[in-house]
Amino acid sequence: MADIADYFRGFAVTFRKLFEDRVTGEYRGGRAKEGQPDDKRPKPERLHGRHVLNRYEDGMEKCIGCELCAGVCPANCIYVRGADNDPENPTSPGERFGFVYEINYLRCIHCDLCVEACPTQAITESKLFEFSFTNRSDAIYTKDELVVGDDGKPQQMPWEDWRDGEDQLTSGWMRATSSAGDHRYEGVVHWAGELGYGVRAPELGQSAEVASAPADGGEVE
Amino acid sequence: MSRADEAETVNVTVNGAEIEASPGELLIDACERAGAYIPRFCYHSRMKPVGMCRMCLVEVDTGRGAALQPSCMLPVSDGMTVETETDLTKKAQDGVLEFLLVNHPLDCPVCDKGGECPLQDQTVAFGPGESRFVEEKRHYEKPIAISDTVYLDRERCILCDRCTRFANDVAGDTLIHFMDRGNNTQVNTFPDEPFASYFSGNTVQICPVGALTAKPYRFKARPWDLEETISTAWTDSVGSRITVQSSRNEVLRLLGVDADSVNWGWLSDKERFAFEALNSEDRLGRPLVRDDDHQLVATGWGDALDRAVAALQGAAPERIAMIGGARLTNESQYAWAKLAKGVLRTDNVDSQLGDGLPVEAVLGLPRATIDDACRPGGTIILMGPDPKEELGALYLRLRHAVLEDGATLIEITPRAGGLTGLASHSLHPRPGELPALTAALVAAVNGEAVDTAGVGGGVIAAAAAALDGPVTVVLGRASLAETGESVADAAVNLSRLDDVSFLSALRRGNIHGALDAGLSPGLLPGRTTLSAGSERVGEVWPGLPESDGLDTAGILAASAEGDIDVLIVLGADPINDFVDHAAAVAGLEAAGTVIAVDLVRNDSIEAAAHIVFAAAGPTESSGTFTNLEGRVSVCEQKVTPPGTARPDWMLATELAHRLGADLGLDSPESIRAELVSVSPVHHNLIEEALAVGRIDGVLVEGNGDIAAPVSTTADVPSNDAYSLRLVSTRSMYDDGVALRHSASSRGLARGLDVRLSPTEFDKLGVKPGTIVKVESSCGQLLAPAFADSSLPAGSAHVPWSAAGSPAGSLIDAGAPFIDVRVERA
Ligand code: SF4
Ligand code: SF4
Ligand code: SF4
Ligand code: FES
Repeated sequence: MADIADYFRGFAVTFRKLFEDRVTGEYRGGRAKEGQPDDKRPKPERLHGRHVLNRYEDGMEKCIGCELCAGVCPANCIYVRGADNDPENPTSPGERFGFVYEINYLRCIHCDLCVEACPTQAITESKLFEFSFTNRSDAIYTKDELVVGDDGKPQQMPWEDWRDGEDQLTSGWMRATSSAGDHRYEGVVHWAGELGYGVRAPELGQSAEVASAPADGGEVE
Repeated sequence: MSRADEAETVNVTVNGAEIEASPGELLIDACERAGAYIPRFCYHSRMKPVGMCRMCLVEVDTGRGAALQPSCMLPVSDGMTVETETDLTKKAQDGVLEFLLVNHPLDCPVCDKGGECPLQDQTVAFGPGESRFVEEKRHYEKPIAISDTVYLDRERCILCDRCTRFANDVAGDTLIHFMDRGNNTQVNTFPDEPFASYFSGNTVQICPVGALTAKPYRFKARPWDLEETISTAWTDSVGSRITVQSSRNEVLRLLGVDADSVNWGWLSDKERFAFEALNSEDRLGRPLVRDDDHQLVATGWGDALDRAVAALQGAAPERIAMIGGARLTNESQYAWAKLAKGVLRTDNVDSQLGDGLPVEAVLGLPRATIDDACRPGGTIILMGPDPKEELGALYLRLRHAVLEDGATLIEITPRAGGLTGLASHSLHPRPGELPALTAALVAAVNGEAVDTAGVGGGVIAAAAAALDGPVTVVLGRASLAETGESVADAAVNLSRLDDVSFLSALRRGNIHGALDAGLSPGLLPGRTTLSAGSERVGEVWPGLPESDGLDTAGILAASAEGDIDVLIVLGADPINDFVDHAAAVAGLEAAGTVIAVDLVRNDSIEAAAHIVFAAAGPTESSGTFTNLEGRVSVCEQKVTPPGTARPDWMLATELAHRLGADLGLDSPESIRAELVSVSPVHHNLIEEALAVGRIDGVLVEGNGDIAAPVSTTADVPSNDAYSLRLVSTRSMYDDGVALRHSASSRGLARGLDVRLSPTEFDKLGVKPGTIVKVESSCGQLLAPAFADSSLPAGSAHVPWSAAGSPAGSLIDAGAPFIDVRVERA
């Protein structure tokens, strides 16, 4: 006859966990009733979330439509097409601008290879991953939705759960790896200014020692 | 030149391994064959080496010690020892690349070449890895448009001399050149003279950097977006091999493929940018029918096909006719031929629009290939259209043959053309008198030469004396104001020369495939006639026409008389393309029901079509193409047709099905198999051969059952003192329907003018460019007048299908010559 004690021994882990601290947070997706807690857990500095398309301090778009992000994307979820800038009223500096820019979030695996590939630091990621949609066209973010607003902050879609201050954290991963993707530049200010922020400071934990910046292509000891 | 032809070989040691090479072979090619790729920028295997870039430096020892030498300038010699990977070579490559990059902008992300750029690739593979230059680079105005289709970004140019060599040596259009000195050396056009070459797109293809870019492709895609397939260019009959590149179901670029027997990688701009017309907004995506208000409105396929079937069912075979078909693939042509001749049993079928030649002259004379025509030491008689205007890639081959391979060119044309400067003898007979001139020329080979057709006896004698070695006649219809019969008569005369063969210069797309498929009165598929081939073809086809039918001129005339109930216009625009404008309009308007099968609405459709089937274009369906040599090459589908447009062959099988007949054809492959089974000349057109001949195609040889033409024309009377005899030739960019729908080439259509021989021009007593009136027995037009010294005395030239009033209004189809009066307006 099966030992009844063996039966309860199988529940040992279950019962022990009942009395331990809970790891789930009080997150209600921004839809909490009065008095209910609705907290997001703090996220690591370099978390990869939904993208933004940055602009220069003068408001010009950084994207030049070069498609390097689309070319590198392992999930094949970026669609970019370039076009000629109107010389009188250019969208970005130079000849070419990103005329179509779309990211399909049903496919994106947030690997950030696109961010590394971008030669102009146009595409970076925010920390936001609390977004859920109910149809496919919402999931495909267009250029109009991805490009930062006139204050340099990401636009907030109705289905996204932004909290105070979160919209400031939009270029951390790029600043960590540096534009050149070269570890020797870690912590060295080597990125262009952004609309609304100017040239951002290095992230926490990085040295702001500009003095140690290697000359272009030079050796760093 | 195949190496097997050379009896002698030399031995060269490449990186320790001994290889055999033919004397005269360049070291860079010999090393590549041996598996040691030497980086290069300026060297191009189809052009003479210049040693501009020094990227190909390797260590060569010819017995006097190793030294760095440019391998593209060095022919191999026996006992040569080559090292391509030594430290010294590496240092040289590093240095060359470092210098090339001194002034090279960091444009890669916005540069159309990025991703397929030899400078990028070779910098990664052979370069120093980092730059020591931090100084400001050279700056120029970013891209300048040097022609309607080409942009030049001088900052990116590495001065390799490829584009300038192409323009000067290959195309003969010296319109771009190096300017300034030293650091400021740049490629540019001459002031106020654009790079208006028919071949400018080739410079874009061979530029090793993104300095030259083409407008139609500018910023459209990056190389990694593109998918490609091999195909054949469709705007003329040379059959240039191309790769079709597309992204997101849209064709974005065509590149020339180096097919040794055809186009050597070159394309005319008309071939290269032809895809724009296929991408046009105006493409038909649905069938159209004419409603009660006489408007063409979109409808469904069932409705359009049913209406067509209703019209066809009530019509007697001899009251049905079909014009056109040169746009179609061989397979579609065969299906339509089977429908028209086998099911509808009409022989009123013609794929030529009165602007071609009798089929006997095309198919019944000994045929030559392009390589035959261009063979070193041979003689080329150009008795046809100006290849520069009509058959661009053939022009480049002929030009090369004369300039580099010692071929002799004799020109028998109505006026000077693109090859005139290279011709050792230029004979410009009076319009309509080609037969007399050729008879005199042949007689002069072993006898006396007399003044004929306005050409001096001395000139004829000199030309006859130059007829030496194998002779190839490039045979076509130079002037639309003369008949094809008179050209055929002239060909009969020339066929009496020793060792002579003929290369057809009919220009229209797949016209040679159409003739091979039997789309001509009295013909059946496989170069055979209704009488000779009926047994063979009758075994497979449900029926056959009872007697020979009418050609296009005959069909249009019969239609104008009310004798045609159903006229099928198969990818043709008779109103713009038939030689006699008035006859085309009258014939189309009087036909009972006009069924058009086309890609866009052309003037004939607007004016007369009752039912329009939307067809798939050349990049939208698979099949094969037959070029002017009879060479068959594949055209592969790359994108889907717009809307519900269907491949032409499918429309034929569908119509047959609704008429209660089964064509038994359900794919291009099955059609090809049936063609091979009924046509002995196509015996080698098997799938394996097409796979092997993926680049060069499969040559379908022989005359089949077609006999040589026989002389028909009588003597031509000379014109009276008041009138001039008309010459009308085509130019590369005319006002054709394809050009009208190409965004970048639309503006290139040649304007209308009238050119007179200088004496006639002086008689007129007007300033050049004055508007004059040109009047023939059937029509008139107004155009600015100029003198043209190459025109024979007593003749006037009006370009064919120029934008504006068409020359076709002056021409009476079938008249052996057209006399016009030119008067002050
Ligand atoms: S994060 Fe990765 S998967 Fe997402 S768009 Fe960028 S490259 Fe593609
Ligand atoms: S030509 Fe080549 S190397 Fe130069 S900018 Fe363009 S892609 Fe880069
Ligand atoms: S434009 Fe291109 S092909 Fe011409 S010289 Fe410069 S690099 Fe060479
Ligand atoms: S490839 Fe030999 S010098 Fe340019």
